[in-house]
Parts: sequence; C-alpha cells; structure tokens
Amino acid sequence: MDFALLRDAFWGLTFDGLALGAIYALISLGYTLVYGVLRLINFAHSEVFMIGTFSALVASGIMGVKIEDDPRTGWGMIFTLLICLLAAMIASAVTAVLVEIIAYRRLRQRGATKLATLISAIGVSISLVEAFRIITDSLPREFPRIMDKTFLFSYAGADIRNDKVIVIVAAALMMFALERFISKSRYGKGIRAVSMDENTATLMGVNINKVITVTFLAGGAMAGAAAFFYMLVYENTSFKVGFFLGISAFTAAVLGGIGNLKGALFGGFVLGVLETYTSAVFGTAWKAVISFLILVLVLLIKPTGLFGESIQQARV
Amino acid sequence: MSEILLELKNITMKFGGVTALNEVNLHVNKGEIAALIGPNGAGKTTVFNVVTGVYKPTSGEVNFVNQSVVGKKRYQVTKMGIARTFQNIRLFGESTALENVVTGADVHSKSGVVGAIFGTPRSRREEKAALERGMELLAFMGLKHRAGQLGKNLPYGDQRRLEIARALATNPQLLLLDEPAAGFNPAEKVALAATIRKIRDAGYTVLLIEHDMSLIMDISDRVAVLDFGQKIADDAPKVVQNDPRVIEAYLGAPADAS
Amino acid sequence: MADKKFRYNLRDHAAEYWERSPKWRRVSLSISFIAFFYALPFLNNPLINTPGSDFQSVLFYPVGMYVLMAIGLNIVVGKSGLLDLGYVAFFAIGAYTMAILGTHTSLNFWEILPIGIALSMVSGVLLGTPTLRLRGDYLAIVTLGFGEIVRIVAVNIEAIGGPRGIAGIPTPPDVFKAKFTILDPKPYYWVLLTFTLLIIWMVRRIAARRPGRAWDAIRQDDDVAQLMGVNTLKYKVWAFVLGAAVAGAGGVLYASQILSIVPDQFNLNVSILILACVVFGGIGNLWGVILGAALLAFTPERIRFLSQPRILVFGIALVVMMNLRPDGILPKKKREHFDPNWHTVEESGEGSIK
Repeated sequence: MDFALLRDAFWGLTFDGLALGAIYALISLGYTLVYGVLRLINFAHSEVFMIGTFSALVASGIMGVKIEDDPRTGWGMIFTLLICLLAAMIASAVTAVLVEIIAYRRLRQRGATKLATLISAIGVSISLVEAFRIITDSLPREFPRIMDKTFLFSYAGADIRNDKVIVIVAAALMMFALERFISKSRYGKGIRAVSMDENTATLMGVNINKVITVTFLAGGAMAGAAAFFYMLVYENTSFKVGFFLGISAFTAAVLGGIGNLKGALFGGFVLGVLETYTSAVFGTAWKAVISFLILVLVLLIKPTGLFGESIQQARV
Repeated sequence: MSEILLELKNITMKFGGVTALNEVNLHVNKGEIAALIGPNGAGKTTVFNVVTGVYKPTSGEVNFVNQSVVGKKRYQVTKMGIARTFQNIRLFGESTALENVVTGADVHSKSGVVGAIFGTPRSRREEKAALERGMELLAFMGLKHRAGQLGKNLPYGDQRRLEIARALATNPQLLLLDEPAAGFNPAEKVALAATIRKIRDAGYTVLLIEHDMSLIMDISDRVAVLDFGQKIADDAPKVVQNDPRVIEAYLGAPADAS
Repeated sequence: MADKKFRYNLRDHAAEYWERSPKWRRVSLSISFIAFFYALPFLNNPLINTPGSDFQSVLFYPVGMYVLMAIGLNIVVGKSGLLDLGYVAFFAIGAYTMAILGTHTSLNFWEILPIGIALSMVSGVLLGTPTLRLRGDYLAIVTLGFGEIVRIVAVNIEAIGGPRGIAGIPTPPDVFKAKFTILDPKPYYWVLLTFTLLIIWMVRRIAARRPGRAWDAIRQDDDVAQLMGVNTLKYKVWAFVLGAAVAGAGGVLYASQILSIVPDQFNLNVSILILACVVFGGIGNLWGVILGAALLAFTPERIRFLSQPRILVFGIALVVMMNLRPDGILPKKKREHFDPNWHTVEESGEGSIK
C-alpha cells in the first residue's frame, strides 16, 4: 500500500481521475437513460462502448493513419479526430438501437419477466464479446497517436496534458447538450414522460417505441463519444475493454442516482477520481474490487444514490 | 364494550410532496365488519398498506391487539394476525389454487428447509396439516374443484375468491379485503356478502374497502369515510349515508350552492 | 399474445404416464434408468463418440459437472427467480479448498469434501444476506461482481498460487478397489453421478414442501409473498446457500480430478454457461435443466467445429431461447388435473375453517 504516492501526486492523480471520470460519465449516461425509461440495466451497453472503440480504430485506418506515423497537426489533425469521433458515435448509436430491437423489444412487447429480459441482454453482451474475441484473435489493438500529447502547464505539481483536458471539457459539453435535448426537445419530453409513467405517456399520445429508440440512440452516441475519448487517451482497446469500464460506469450511475442525468455526471467524476486514488495506493489489480465495493455499499446504504429517487419501493 | 383489534392513531403518510393520509384515526372492533369508503384517490389502499407494513407511516401509531405494527417486517405483521387481499388481483398465477392457499397456511409452520431435507416428523406433520387446511379453505370458498388448476387460468370470480382463501389460510384475526366485489355481477355480490358474513361468523374480523354502496350498507356494522386523506365520517352505515359531508365528497357540492 | 398452436408436450405426457403407473413399474423404471447412467461410460457407439476427447472424460467434465451445477443454479435462478451471475465463485471456492488443503495438509478428498461444501455455504450466507434484499437487476450485477472478485483475489494472492494456480492436487483414496487416477475418469464419474442423484432426490423433496412453495411465491411476487407471511429473505438466502453447496461440492471433485487449477478457469463465462444450461432446459424445471445441461455440454464435444465458438453459440442461444421459447425445451408443468393419489380430505360437504 502506497499512501505516499497518493499524497505526493495528489493533484496529478485528481486530474487523471477527472479525465477517466469524464469517460465514465459519458458511458453511465447510457445506463441511466435506459434505466429511467425501461427500468432495466442494459447489460449490453458495455459492448456498445467496445464497438465504438473499434469503430474509431477502423475510421483512423480508413483515414490512412498508421501506428508508426507521426502525429498530425493543424486542420488535418482536427479533421481526422472528428471523423473518428463521429464514426465511434454513429457505430455505437446504431449498435445500441440494434441491441434494443434484437434483445429487448420483443420481450418488452410481450410483457416478459425481468429475468427473461436480463438473460436476453446478457446473451447479446456475451455474443458480442465473443464475436470480437474471435475477430481480433484475442489480441489487443493499438490506436495511433493522431494528436501529439503535450503538457499544457503545471498546476500544484500536476502536469496538465492536452488530451485529458479535451476529454474533460468535451464530456462536460456533451452532457450539457444532452441535458438541453432532454429538457427542451419533443423527444426529450417524451423520454421524461415515459420515465415517470409509461402508461400515462402512452395515453397522452407518446410513441413508446420511438422514444425508446431515441433513448438508446442518445445513450449509444454518448458511449461512442466516450469510446473515442478512451482511444485518444489510452490508445488501445481489446474485445474485453467493455467489461470493467461498463461495471465502473454503472457504478457511477448508481452512485449518482440511477435515472438522474446530473447524477451520472457527478457519479462518473467521483468514481473516476476514487478509482485513480485507489490504483495509486493499492495497485491497479484491485481497481475493479474497489469499484464493486463502492457499488455494493451504495446499494445497501443509500440505494437512491446521491441525487436519484428510490427505485426499491414495493408496489401493491 | 367491544374490544379494539386494530387502531390507527394520527397516521400521516407523505410521499415526497404528496400527503396521502393526514392525521387519520381509525379503529376496528373485534368481531365486526367495518368498511372503509371514499372517492378514488382518498387513500383507502394506502391505509391498508400502512397497516400491513408495506409503507412506514411518516408519523403516527398503528396498534394491533396492543402491539405496534410500525417498523415490523411485512411477514411479521402477517404472523401477528393481519391478512389481506388486493385491489388488482395478485395471485401466484403459475401455481395451482391449492398451492396458493397452502403458501398462506405455511406461515404457522415451524419447520423449514432443514425439516424438509431430513423429513422430520414435525415437518411431515405440519405439511399434512397445511395441505388439509388448504383444502378446507378451498371448500369453504367453493373452490374445491379448482384445487389443481393454475391460478392464472381461473375465471375472474374464482380468482377473487381464491385470494380470500389464501388470506384466510394465514389464520388471521383481521382480514383486510380491498375491493373484493370489483367486477362482480349482482348475483355474485349477493353471494360475496353471504361469504363475508360467514367469515365473520366463523370468528374473523373484517375490514373492507368497497365502492358498491348497497353491499356496504348490507353487511357493514360500521363505515369510515376517507376523502383526500382525511377521515370525514365514522359511524353506522345509515348515519354515514345521510351525512352531508360524505355526500359532498362523492357528488360535489349541491347544485344550489353556486 | 396468441401462443403457438398446441404442441405435443413431452413432459406432461411423461408425467401422466408416470402417475398412472403402479408402484412396481415405477420402481423398475427408476432402477433401469439409474443403472443405465452408471453403465454409460462403457457405451461405445459411434453416434455418441466424441472426436478429439475421451468419451468417458467428457462424461465427467463438462457433461456431468454442468448437469450438477445446473441443478444447483436452478434452485437459485429457476425456482426462486434470483439472477445469480457469479455462480462460478462457489465452484472456485470448492476447488481451491481441495487444492489448498490437499497440497498443504494430509486430509484426503473425502475429508476435504465437507469442508469445501461448508466454506461454499458460508460464502453463500455472507454474500446473500446483504445483497438478496436488492432488486433483480442489482442482484445480478452484484453477484457478477462477486464472481469476478473471487477470481481477482485468486489471481493476486500469491499464497494461494497467484496466476499460476495450484498444482499437485492429490487424487482421492481408493474406494473398493476403484482407483482414482488421471488415466481413468470412471470412478470420478460414478462419484459425481451418485452425488447428482442424491442432490436430485433432495431438491425434489424440498421443492414439494414448504421451501418449494416459498421459492415459487418469491419468484412470482416477492412483495405479496411477504404479505402472505413468507420470510422471503430467509428463503432466498437458503436458495443461495444450497446452490453454493452444490457448486462447492462440484468444485472439490473437479479439482481432485484435474489435479491442477488456475484462477482463470473460474471466470464469468462459466457462470454464463451454467446459466445458459438452466435457461435452455426451462427455468425452474429440474428434468429440463438436466437435459439442457447435458445437451449444451455434450454437443460442442460431439460436433467439434462448434467447440471453438462455443461461447458465442451459447450467447446467441440465450437470446434466441428467451425470445422464441422462454420456457425452455421442456416447459414447466402445465397439468391442470388434480393429483388423484392425494386422499387426505373428505370429498363431501363444505369444509370448516377453524
């Protein structure tokens, strides 16, 4: 256990934690949105993220970037990055919607049990992971450095790196945009209505299927963005990248209060920072364990999370 | 002086910003058939939920046979002697009628998993007793011929009767019936009234929520009226029927008040 | 939702035949059935031979093991409706108990077996008591986490072998001239079969009585079950503990056959595979689960090209089964008639209720 490292590098770790947290926050939006609308944990969301990372990779390949290339500059760099971002977002969004149609829609319309729906979700998740494992032959893949990583400045001993700043800022901006979408747009209102009371929403003329599709689209797009940012910062991916990130992002959603957007943002940053601290102190192998412990603690002590409403109420 | 079985003292129930029950005082005497009526949304089912431990009241006391119910786990409340049926039928649809009822009868068995594994004499005895009680109750409610049928396949009336049988199987002192006549035709309602009287005559106390006024007038000893979470009347049926506040709650203010 | 047109329901017909049979027929059928399974390792039929691996070895693992574990998980998921995604953890605890005690103490398999079972059961209580209050989806994620944590702990603690695991696990001592060696899986298979039969007997007993009714009620409507007087937490923990015991026993036996274990063998995929067996066979249905597990375990061994993408096939199977045939290949009993052998109450008149 290395508490000295935590003390000495505190601000640096905090900054790194915020960057990781930004990625968690974006992914957790998908969990929280779907939970709000369907009261269901979308187990396959982690694979939506994973597919986003591979899409960014493929996009970079199509743009002609090779691993051994020097980083690009200027407009060329920005353009390449944007294409990769878009590719990831689109691929993830499409995957999310396909998942909904294949794994959930039929069961939802039939009024199937929660158990059945969860099992279907797990089936999709496992299938996607295995499919990619077979495709990549179990080997991780590297992402080329399109943008040169430079340290912008130092603050209280922390070296502030440009890519992480971009990730933090961009994530916050995307959240803001999503929040406006949810509160102002027609579909956003539909999403909120269905979250509150599906039956009444239908009676009020809300098209449930469309709302659910849009929910998955939005959550998927956010996960795709997270996937791009993940590739930007960590520069590699594998077929199993979704698993632990998904668990952490879900924990973040629960921590913030599942169903609550602001909660997802807050939970993501908090968890990212906490995980980074514990990695420093206990080593990276135990990171997942800490995440789980936090999840269990939150669920047992304050299942509503920090901002959310209670979902444990019985209905009789 | 009749003995008070159930007593609600100053029960307030808030959900976030909504006050479902506001300083409600109610009591049920042993051996009576009491009714709880009121317009939709008045808080009647909420009262049932508070009494059975589904909700913890925001403030107030609930005493059953001089023991507090508040804070007890739901299955403990049932063990104390309170059983109920539900507004929307909540049977175990995939289980047979007999299994539904015997699940209720199990509450008083002492043996559990260990007894079942080893087949202890007590376990066998209690199993036999529970099955017998189950069949008796099915017969009592006129459902013996349905014993082997799945709950979800029963006709509507039988489902409602099965719920009552299941609740009775827990051997309660107080039976809470939540709209037991919903969806019944007049003939079935008459039969139901007779059944409820039979239940009371067998020694149970009944508190029921209902909308059918003739049924209420017919069998209740006492009627309490809720409106917007507050009790506005609590008296013999004939008195309550003519109470202007009750009339206003159901029908709105009289026409010449405008 | 209109269901498919009437299908020949194998299970109902078999059940009816069984019920109509007089006792002598039932006994002789049971005995021949059981004898068949004991004799199975000697079967040498090209139809069932497994290319690439030894048939007898396959009978023990994966077929026999998966069947046993599926029966255990069925109590948790099938009967009680609790989605446990970390079932492999109990299997691992059993296996590691055998490995550690076998290599560090002079205890033999038979002495370690009850210890392994006990440790798994204790873990079941420790995991279950706080988490079984949670709703279904949360329980799923938390049990998933538990399974992973057990694996991570095993990988990272050098004292129990770390990532290289533990080797040199002793074989069980001889029983009536039957030698337990790595060359001959038959004695292991017979022990497993005996244990499985014992578990089946036990599960059927419990399920027919109060615990079974409690689990059915919990699965269908937890809130109402509580209101009918069922102490749902207690019975949920029991389901967990019994499932854990079964997996733990399997783990002990597994370790004593395979003689060396590594943590990565006990990963999430195993939990999912067992879950797939339960789902495929028909959630809650004991015979369906056994048949489903046997089929799912055996088929990739028989049809080699299915073996590599085995997990992919399982995953797809899960989705397909849930969407098209959620009741599994042998759906739960749908019999409507009442058991004619049950005679306790008089047929005439109205019953009394006091």
